[in-house]
Amino acid sequence: MPQPEAQSMYEVLSPWAETDPVPLKGISERLKSLEGMTIGLHADNKPAAVPILKVVKKRLQERYPTVKFTHFQTKLIDEIDRYPEVRERFVEWAKGVDAVVGAVGD
Amino acid sequence: MEELGKPVCVIVNKGFVPDAKSAASGKGMPSARIISSPVIPNCTIEEEIDAGITSVIEDIIAGLTKPLTDEERTPSPKKADNARIIFNGTLKEVNRFFYKRGWTDGLPVVPPTEEEVAEMLSGTDLPPDHVVAKLVPRNANMTVERIAINAVMAGALPTYMPVLIAAVEILMEPYVYFGQFGVSAGAFAPMWFLNGPIRHDLHVNCKAGILSPGDIANSGIGRALSLIIKNIAGIRKGVEDMGVMGNVGKIGMVVGENEEESPWDPLHVDHGFERDDSCITVHFMDNSQVITPYHTDDNGILRVLCDNIPPGRQLVYTIMFNAETARILSTRGWSKKDVREYICEYARVPAYQHRVWERVFTEASPNPWGLRRQQMPIDPYETVRKIPNPDWLRILVAGGPLSSMGIYGGDHFDVQKWCTKKIQLPANWNKLVAKYKNVQHNYAFY
Repeated sequence: MPQPEAQSMYEVLSPWAETDPVPLKGISERLKSLEGMTIGLHADNKPAAVPILKVVKKRLQERYPTVKFTHFQTKLIDEIDRYPEVRERFVEWAKGVDAVVGAVGD
Repeated sequence: MEELGKPVCVIVNKGFVPDAKSAASGKGMPSARIISSPVIPNCTIEEEIDAGITSVIEDIIAGLTKPLTDEERTPSPKKADNARIIFNGTLKEVNRFFYKRGWTDGLPVVPPTEEEVAEMLSGTDLPPDHVVAKLVPRNANMTVERIAINAVMAGALPTYMPVLIAAVEILMEPYVYFGQFGVSAGAFAPMWFLNGPIRHDLHVNCKAGILSPGDIANSGIGRALSLIIKNIAGIRKGVEDMGVMGNVGKIGMVVGENEEESPWDPLHVDHGFERDDSCITVHFMDNSQVITPYHTDDNGILRVLCDNIPPGRQLVYTIMFNAETARILSTRGWSKKDVREYICEYARVPAYQHRVWERVFTEASPNPWGLRRQQMPIDPYETVRKIPNPDWLRILVAGGPLSSMGIYGGDHFDVQKWCTKKIQLPANWNKLVAKYKNVQHNYAFY
């Protein structure tokens, strides 16, 4: 009887690239309540983002009548990262809010 | 926003949750609070939006008020599997292992052994640990060695390394918007154009069946780049890649321009390079069609193009003329610029059929065409351009004989910035080319 040939073995390298350690950041402490707070509504550039945030505003207002809202919309993809002046405006806007609800419209 | 000390929650469609998590994690914030919403992407139905958001309003409130867990406050690092040698087994076992890790395109790969990778590395003068790029979303170190490993898996030859490195450099250019097109729901696939002498060195197909498989250079370069995008940039189908319908081109599309039979300057010369430079250009393509002229004269060629460019899109179009069609246009006095301007002017539809018609008059959302109300006709039957300006059209010559032409629609940002790079060749290029020059197929007639 012919013996089956031993199969070749392959010691292989990983195609999955290494990442540099990214400093991990925790998220910010949450609010105790939304009552009386200013909520920033941040819409991206996709069509559904603004209508989504309109509903968020409506529902939160029903629940928390004293809550206030302020809006920021980015008109282009990656606008905040790409354009320093937009980032500056965004940071200024963010300073005036207590929390943010973001909506991605797609 | 979280870095500014503000609690944030972000509403995304449920299908985008894995993508959003990967993006947050890649930026070092794995605990970002993401609200999974049932609202369909780009929804325009108010009742659906109302019902969908109302159904998750408790999650939104909790996203902003529910106290943090220890893990959210201080995320623990994930254990990275950075082993260089990852597995030892038979051909079948290696393939099963890689497939189960999600590292393939579904087809068998060549095992990337030390020996194979060393041979692949002979295709570049760069050291193996040189980091060529860090591509979003994963921002991993795209070293020369990792590029070589994925190239081996794809069945590429070492002579393709300079092309792969230049291609990766292109993806790093901010105006290419790889971070958007690479993961888009529109399933854009990179379509790579090669120009210059390297086409001959590598036996890149420039003619018949240009987008069909069967040529090792076209297929090997395209597949290697596809694996690089998956395994190094970290864009996996259904996780980070949100392509709804997907795109068969994602397995790899490489086109060599048929410069020798073109009556016009080749693409890379249009983009400011010398004819003798070897260059690569990218176009992110999400739709294609092949059409035949109404007649073989210039009128029949240009009319069919004008009629078949879709009105309802907002894309840049690459038009691929076969050499014969290009010759006819040229002999009848048409330059590439003339062709682009003609199509831009005469590819028209009644205003009511144009995508922008609805947007201009019914929505406040940004209009990427930059058209304003006063630029759209009041009369819905008055015609408007399908292509806003000639820069939205690219022209090159490729493909086989006969008269068909290809229209490929795709990327649409920063259209005036061309994404072409010169390919840097290693010092021993001629020797290397000679070594692999005989790797080419010859079909026998039957």
